[in-house]
Amino acid sequence: MIAAEHKLHAAPAEVATPAGESEAAEILRECSRFKTAVVPCGSGLHQHIGLAPQPPFVALKSERLTQVEYYDPGDLTIGVGAGMTLRELDALVKPHGQWLPVLAFPDRASGGNATIGGLLATAMHGPLKHAFGGVREFCIGVRFVTGDGMRAKGGGRVVKNVAGYDLMKLLIGSYGTLGVITSASFKLFPRPRQTATFVCRFPGLQNAMAVRDALMASPLAPLALEIISPGAAALLHGHADDAGWRVLLRASGSDQQLARYRDHLGNAASAELTGEDEAAAWSLLENFESALPPDAVVVAVSCPLSDVAQVLRSAERAALERKISWAGIGRACTGSLLIAFLGGSRPEQSISAVHALRASAPPSANAVIRRCPDSLKAGIALWQLREGELEIMRTFKNALDPAWILNRGRYFV
Amino acid sequence: MRLSAIRAKLTAICGSRAVLHSKEDLLLYEYDAGLARARPDFVVFPSTTEQVAAVVALASESGLPVVARGAGTGLSGGAIPRSGGIVLAFARMNRILEVDVANQRAVVQPGVVNLELSEHVRPLGFYFAPDPSSQKACTIGGNVAENSGGPHTLASGVTVNHVTGLEVVLADGRIVELGGKSSEAAGYDLTGFFVGSEGTLGITTKIMVKLTRVPEHVSTLLAIYNDVRDAGNTVVEITSAGITPAALEMMDGWTLRAVEAAAHAGYPQDAAAVLLIELEGLRETVDEQVLAVEAACARQNAREVRIAQNDAERQRLWYGRKNAFAAIGRISPSYYTQDGVIPRTRIPQTLEHIQQVAARYSLTIGNVFHAGDGNLHPLILFDDRSPAETEKSIQAGKEILQYCISVGGSLTGEHGVGIEKRDLMPMLFSDEELQVMRRLREALNPRGTLNPEKLIPGARTCMEIRTPQFPGVVS
Repeated sequence: MIAAEHKLHAAPAEVATPAGESEAAEILRECSRFKTAVVPCGSGLHQHIGLAPQPPFVALKSERLTQVEYYDPGDLTIGVGAGMTLRELDALVKPHGQWLPVLAFPDRASGGNATIGGLLATAMHGPLKHAFGGVREFCIGVRFVTGDGMRAKGGGRVVKNVAGYDLMKLLIGSYGTLGVITSASFKLFPRPRQTATFVCRFPGLQNAMAVRDALMASPLAPLALEIISPGAAALLHGHADDAGWRVLLRASGSDQQLARYRDHLGNAASAELTGEDEAAAWSLLENFESALPPDAVVVAVSCPLSDVAQVLRSAERAALERKISWAGIGRACTGSLLIAFLGGSRPEQSISAVHALRASAPPSANAVIRRCPDSLKAGIALWQLREGELEIMRTFKNALDPAWILNRGRYFV
Repeated sequence: MRLSAIRAKLTAICGSRAVLHSKEDLLLYEYDAGLARARPDFVVFPSTTEQVAAVVALASESGLPVVARGAGTGLSGGAIPRSGGIVLAFARMNRILEVDVANQRAVVQPGVVNLELSEHVRPLGFYFAPDPSSQKACTIGGNVAENSGGPHTLASGVTVNHVTGLEVVLADGRIVELGGKSSEAAGYDLTGFFVGSEGTLGITTKIMVKLTRVPEHVSTLLAIYNDVRDAGNTVVEITSAGITPAALEMMDGWTLRAVEAAAHAGYPQDAAAVLLIELEGLRETVDEQVLAVEAACARQNAREVRIAQNDAERQRLWYGRKNAFAAIGRISPSYYTQDGVIPRTRIPQTLEHIQQVAARYSLTIGNVFHAGDGNLHPLILFDDRSPAETEKSIQAGKEILQYCISVGGSLTGEHGVGIEKRDLMPMLFSDEELQVMRRLREALNPRGTLNPEKLIPGARTCMEIRTPQFPGVVS
């Protein structure tokens, strides 16, 4: 079930495994002084994102930072070291009927290997983003070390806190370019006691979007609503049993609450999954990226809700025109889509499809390349960053990593 | 640059009817809802982003502080021009620019009043979730600067959870757009980082917010207790049962009696504490949760649980809570509202500690607060005509905060650091941690002109950024 992990592109000149924050600070002070590049590293799950850092570099691994700093189930908060994996954290909080709603099935998805540091650095999310938002909405504190070895902190242990700058927001999604995260605190949520998943199949995208729109106009509040392109369904299930679009809706609650979803969907739902079937269906989706063939070019598109259909159509057209296949899944109600172009032996066709997608997608949409053969990375902008924001990003980079040693070249230069 | 030259430039940018400079006009802008006072040299009312940019650039060139002001309802001194300078008042930038129902977004100017946005979109079935107690007056620009909360942020989150994009004027007058209508943007989450930065990194001129669908069903309960500890334990019991109420508020007996005398909300006079619990969502969900909450209250010895039977009863229960602060104003010349946060399991012992502090300082301290997220609001009564008593209440507040921090909490949950808590920040952050925040501030605010002397202690003082020809500091 668990796919092979993506590792560092090049062998590090040295590997450092600090036992705590002060050791990490000491290492970074040294590296900063000698302008030695540093690649912060958790499980290595996301190291393929961005440009490969140029050797020589020191790999700074979080594998010894796995402590539980505190966990009081009554407060629904937990603080852990950056090296703990999502799977380990889940095992801690599950017995108390709680969860960190990033992955619904961290014990099955390869993403369960992601560390807390990696979760924050990459702003990783899955289908649960529909109900809970991204990790920015429930990370309540972070400790990190700046590029030049200063020990920094944002937030704390409590769920409401406006003391000082919100450094969690700055660090989340910064891909290890501003600091090395050493520990973090989270707000936990009650784990649903009963769930059901409704599977809807449609001949066309239009029908699928109509179901989404009706749901959004209703008072229903599912845990997840995922749209799945015909190509993605074929890929996930290993066979193209039908050519249609799918919508998977997962709801939680009592029998009466679940009945509301059943009534609302009516004939639109062709199957209802519970138990093992349900877990299997969602872990396939949570594993989508790692299940793709290695030559796939994957983009994460974020767009306003009303542009979701147009983005998916643009992707479909881009693939058709190039006679390659494609697969897309995503949170249709938050506008977070994952699109893979499968050019097979012609990866340049996939890159060309990304260009076409970007050109034809609405201007409000943003397409970040998550995966791409290394040889083609130089030919395309991996991140779509706007000049005004980029300037501020550089200013903050200078402030927190004055020697520019952290993940040099991965994100922006 | 002389003040007269700056006045001429401000008038050229915004027009003579948009610049205040006489002492009697400026007096009104010495205040917000907190304790600090200081007089600006100018108050300017910009109408456009370009005017804001020109004023901010002028301030930067002349080394004059620039402080944004919404409705002046802040409690930590965020809008107080501590060392004089220009107050940018957003009263004229108060338009709702766009309501985009399909994308569940609105675009507003910073001077839009919080409640006005909710009222504007309610006919469409939406509202703006953050609801500070001052929502009838406070502006969304101020909410963004302070990352404001409110009673209903327990389930729905605070301001930062509802902002997806900003237009910001930087210290040198550059106008930048951060984020947008999408739920995430490429690059650093600058929008999230700007929210709550208290006007020290830039001035917000446009805000993209999420709109939240009005729930299908709402139920409001009042649980009445003879022992304040039982009320505190109920909070943990409810959340441990897997229920996240929309709001979970607590009032202690002293506050209840004060509120009842003024608001006649029907609160019991002889109780030690009440919990005001609101549940919302699908009808089926709410009905089940009401039963579970009632049972939790009963297990923790609630002597009575009242359930509002209709909207009028619901409004009445909330009326007392929302007007609690005004009610205290009737019985005390002044009061000081603290804003500590604790892990919610520590509520009973913290309330006990607060009463010990009250006894030690011979002060009356009431408690009305957001119990569900452990956000305390001790109300310290004092007479501001007595400097000794004012000092005593500030000391008592500090002791309470020290206790909050000792049990794992924070200095402020939703009011901000501002002037009030700037010098208390070392209780929570080490020198090194503060230095990192200072570096970030200086990266975008290199001359220290944006809301100086706030948020982070011990950085540049007013003397470094102001030349002595600008008098105006009154405290």
